[in-house]
Amino acid sequence: MSDSDADPPDDGAKGGGGARSAAEATDATDSPLEAARGTSGIGNRVTAFMDALTGPERNIVSAIATFVGLLVLATVFGVIRPAYLLYLLSLAGMYLLLSMGLNVQWGYTGLINFSVAAFFGLGAYGTALMSSSDAPILGNFPPILGLFFGLALAGILAVLIGIPTLNLREDYLAIASLGLAEVVRVFVTNEGQWTGGAVGLSGIPRFFDGWPVLGNLSRGVPTAAANLLLVTTFVVVTYLFLRRVHRSPWGRVQRTIRADEDLAKALGKDTYRFKMESFVLGSMIMALAGVFFAHLQLFLSPGVMLPTQTFYVWIAVILGGTGSDRGAMFGGFVIIAIQEGTRFIGGGLPIGPGPLRLFLIGVIIIAIIRYRPEGLLPPQRELVWPGASSDGGDAND
Amino acid sequence: MSQIFQYFVNGLVFSSIIVLGSVGLSIVYSIADFANFAHGDTMTVGAYGALVTLPTLSGIGGELLGLPLGFYGALLVGMALAAAIAVVTELTIYRPLDTDAIGMLITSIGVAFVYRAALQATFGSDFRSYSIERSGPIPGIENALNVTITERATVMIVCAIVLVTALHLLLQYTTLGRKMRAMSDNPELARVSGIRTDRVLLATWVVGAALAGAGGVFLGLYSQIDPRIGFDLLLIVFAAVILGGIGSVYGAMAGGLSIGMVHEFTPLLTDVGIPIGTDYASAVAFIIMVVILLVRPSGIAGGEAT
Repeated sequence: MSDSDADPPDDGAKGGGGARSAAEATDATDSPLEAARGTSGIGNRVTAFMDALTGPERNIVSAIATFVGLLVLATVFGVIRPAYLLYLLSLAGMYLLLSMGLNVQWGYTGLINFSVAAFFGLGAYGTALMSSSDAPILGNFPPILGLFFGLALAGILAVLIGIPTLNLREDYLAIASLGLAEVVRVFVTNEGQWTGGAVGLSGIPRFFDGWPVLGNLSRGVPTAAANLLLVTTFVVVTYLFLRRVHRSPWGRVQRTIRADEDLAKALGKDTYRFKMESFVLGSMIMALAGVFFAHLQLFLSPGVMLPTQTFYVWIAVILGGTGSDRGAMFGGFVIIAIQEGTRFIGGGLPIGPGPLRLFLIGVIIIAIIRYRPEGLLPPQRELVWPGASSDGGDAND
Repeated sequence: MSQIFQYFVNGLVFSSIIVLGSVGLSIVYSIADFANFAHGDTMTVGAYGALVTLPTLSGIGGELLGLPLGFYGALLVGMALAAAIAVVTELTIYRPLDTDAIGMLITSIGVAFVYRAALQATFGSDFRSYSIERSGPIPGIENALNVTITERATVMIVCAIVLVTALHLLLQYTTLGRKMRAMSDNPELARVSGIRTDRVLLATWVVGAALAGAGGVFLGLYSQIDPRIGFDLLLIVFAAVILGGIGSVYGAMAGGLSIGMVHEFTPLLTDVGIPIGTDYASAVAFIIMVVILLVRPSGIAGGEAT
């Protein structure tokens, strides 16, 4: 996954597709022709798709493809069950959602939010309390109502955290958000009469329960597939929405704030309002991931709000490339590899899976900041309106 | 009334831990210029350092303030270990970095996780405690003032006062202290005036981490030790630092004292009928921090420099 054969890393900073190296430019001019000629063959399409990518993207697409391929192989040979494979992919999708939420805040606006776990947990508890048959309050409503309830809770908390901190130095937000996330966790743990407390909350229905066809699937693979479908829908809708939003004037103001907040102020922008909007939007996307998680696991305990959860998402974002949604996708797979991989390799090592995971998180964070602070897939085309780049539109757009 | 006085004494005991943590965090904050999220785990390192050496040192005879002399030896070992680890971290991880304060902050989280993973892998995640006999409240004080305070609690308060006074003398009356204050004021100016800023930075890490290590040892003495204790306390320590105004050492002392008091006065809320239990002691400390941020963002010390 090195970028030795890749573009100079400042490619993204120059503002996207127009700034590619000569070799890439040649590829890009060839690819539309090839793609037009060979639309019949899937192989040609793949080639065209790969040609349209930059060097690091190609490496990473290959890495993800290899990883997924290995998982599929393992499934075929019966090492892991098909339902488990689908479950892993759904989890990767969930982390992708979380990373996109954090990307809105940190990647585009530069807000350091260390309360990812709290927003995730609020979304999960929101929908669980609304829909679970065992819920101490509310309960037995359809999950779709729970979805809105969870998002609303997260939105309210985001405003409450944002009011005192968004006008201050950026490290205040880091400290205050981590602290308030702990307050939320302590609250959920102690107020058992409302939340089920430390023992947890069960009886959560599947998201599609009560729906015409999807509600009557049998357990195992069909349910797992439905979950994957659900998270894919969430991811696609969020991705399209964010892409639209970030290319709008609103998105440009957000990026200006990240680059130079004083400049944005000098241009007459109410930066506090913009930061608040970004904070709330990102938090609600995290809550959406929580909603999915609740209906995936069908059981919740306050442990889902531990700070470690927050830092997994941070790794996904900074490893993939701050401000890059493609990077977030890669980051999601890496988290799954750390979380689930450590279960399997634990036996041969002198260190248990718990500490090993912590150690990996720590080392990855340090290594990224030291060796590749812009991440493996720094943002390029995310920031450019399609057609604005000199080679006119990309395969992705 | 005596109940309130008891809370006050409990507050003093808990504050002595928080003050040691917050002063160390604040001094690193003002000189290395970033929020060090590994500070809590540095405290844990100190606590484990003392835990490991205490059995060997407990052979030393004699007592001081009711605790065996060996404990003070273990305290010094804990402080030295925390300082050594911090210096190694600065040299191998922070110094080669070419990043801003936020990059440093994020890196320090990685450092915190590595510390904790190492402790957890070595010692497991079970609770442990120091092999010092627990004694009851000191009878003389209990009879005279109707307040219960144990010998280990008095040791914590006395040691915290000694260490904080030593820091005050260091900052105000030594050359190193003057250099540190100059650096916290304006690093560039300090450098052009001939101060070797990288050496002062190392000294800062030694002082800050040693104080954190002492805080960690007292935290272990106060309750039990597990790999999470430091990280769990970190947020309260940060609350104290923010309360005092980021980067102000004397503010951190005042902030640590106030947050420690608030933490231990939380039972009073239940006494007067407000249903907020002691589980929320940290939460209350946090809410106070947020309120302070709203009304006086520069902290109660007004953001005065070290």
